[in-house]
Amino acid sequence: MKTDMRKTYLNFIWVLPLCLALSGCEEDEYALPEAKTHFQNDAIKRSLGPNVVGLNLEFVYGMALGVDKGTIRSARVTASIPGDPGTYLEHRSFHTNLSGNDVPVTVADPSVSDGAVTEVTFTRDTCAAALRYYYIIPEAARGKSVEFTFSAKASTGEEVSYKMGPYQVAKMEMVRDITLTDTNLKYFSISEMKAYNAADAAANADKIDLVYLYRTITGVTFNHALVSPSTSADYLPGVTLPAGVSNTTKIHKTWQLNDRHLARLQYGIYVDDLDLEKIDVSSAPDYALNLRAESGAWVETADGKYRAYVYVNAVNNGAGGSMRISVKRLQMK
Amino acid sequence: MKNFLNRLLALPLLIMLVSGCSDDFPIDEDGLLITGRGECYVSNFELLGTDYQTVRTSAAVIDTVAQTVAVEVFWGTDLRKLWPQFSLVTDAKLDPKITSWTDFSDLANPKKWVVISGNRKVKKQYTVTITVQEKP
Repeated sequence: MKTDMRKTYLNFIWVLPLCLALSGCEEDEYALPEAKTHFQNDAIKRSLGPNVVGLNLEFVYGMALGVDKGTIRSARVTASIPGDPGTYLEHRSFHTNLSGNDVPVTVADPSVSDGAVTEVTFTRDTCAAALRYYYIIPEAARGKSVEFTFSAKASTGEEVSYKMGPYQVAKMEMVRDITLTDTNLKYFSISEMKAYNAADAAANADKIDLVYLYRTITGVTFNHALVSPSTSADYLPGVTLPAGVSNTTKIHKTWQLNDRHLARLQYGIYVDDLDLEKIDVSSAPDYALNLRAESGAWVETADGKYRAYVYVNAVNNGAGGSMRISVKRLQMK
Repeated sequence: MKNFLNRLLALPLLIMLVSGCSDDFPIDEDGLLITGRGECYVSNFELLGTDYQTVRTSAAVIDTVAQTVAVEVFWGTDLRKLWPQFSLVTDAKLDPKITSWTDFSDLANPKKWVVISGNRKVKKQYTVTITVQEKP
């Protein structure tokens, strides 16, 4: 019996090398892939967070064609809404060296902007470039969306283009680095986004929403504070308000909300229109005591017209006390 | 003999399989494991303001016999919007659950929470008393 089985196996054992031979002889020649040499382009957006008027949108526009095909002649960006002065397309192409540093190589004349179009004309014999584009968001774009068309021409006559967007521009307004001082500029208006001294506050009494003060009171933690003019006298020690300054402002204290636009620190946190629209400060108190650097406060004006996020950039205990703030504000009504 | 050894090996496996599936530790209505622990106390207490920073001037005083937690908060603390955080003994749970800001402004009527032990058989009510730092 065993001998019969062995014979059967031996009869079929030639099938294995046959299978190997068939599969092993399959023709599969490798050829190096050839790079595309026609004129090509691509773009990425580098800036992050909400698009706030006055800040820039940053892009990188890359274009290339085969090294023996020709050179790049010009590159241009057309925005759907003309950017503010300062909008430009880099005339230098950047690459990253082994140390991780961006190294510029001048490839064109400085860009020329005409309305919504920003253009550079190449002066260097190059077949590849990556140009950065900085679009300063104009007031005209507030609350609207903006689109960009990047395009380039080569010596071969080829033209390429790449569309980016649309990008929604935020409705909010932003001011940065306003200094409040306990001895002089202690009144702040959300509607005007401006600090006032007592005399100017009296002249703009209905616009004053916050009072800054710095107190070191033994036994309690007061320090740097932003309070509503109408708050209890307990929270306005030693302050005689200018005539007519009496608004009731809701103040919701925060911590670890380091908006990148306001703080300009390493944190990737952004306060957007939606945050200001959704935040509910109706039950918030009318004072915020012991505010430290990198703290903040959501604020709503007495008439409900404005909501704001006030970020504390720095506090200074010297010279009577001062606070540097940056503000994002949204008109609600 | 061989069959006997096979059965001898299979028997403990079968026992392990059956015992592994038995329901020794049931879960409660919150999906939490009901254990054998009967301890029931608060081990730590924290109180946060709207900025999620502590509003305590010092560590909370926890009396596990009297079942009280006494906390002094900074002068100027907004008592209407505070977030209490209890640390409990292992396997215990709190009732009612804390799912939002709590209003402590009625100082005359301190808030109360019940601590329930891991075996769910011991319940102790803790009273949280807040005092505000006095301005000199």
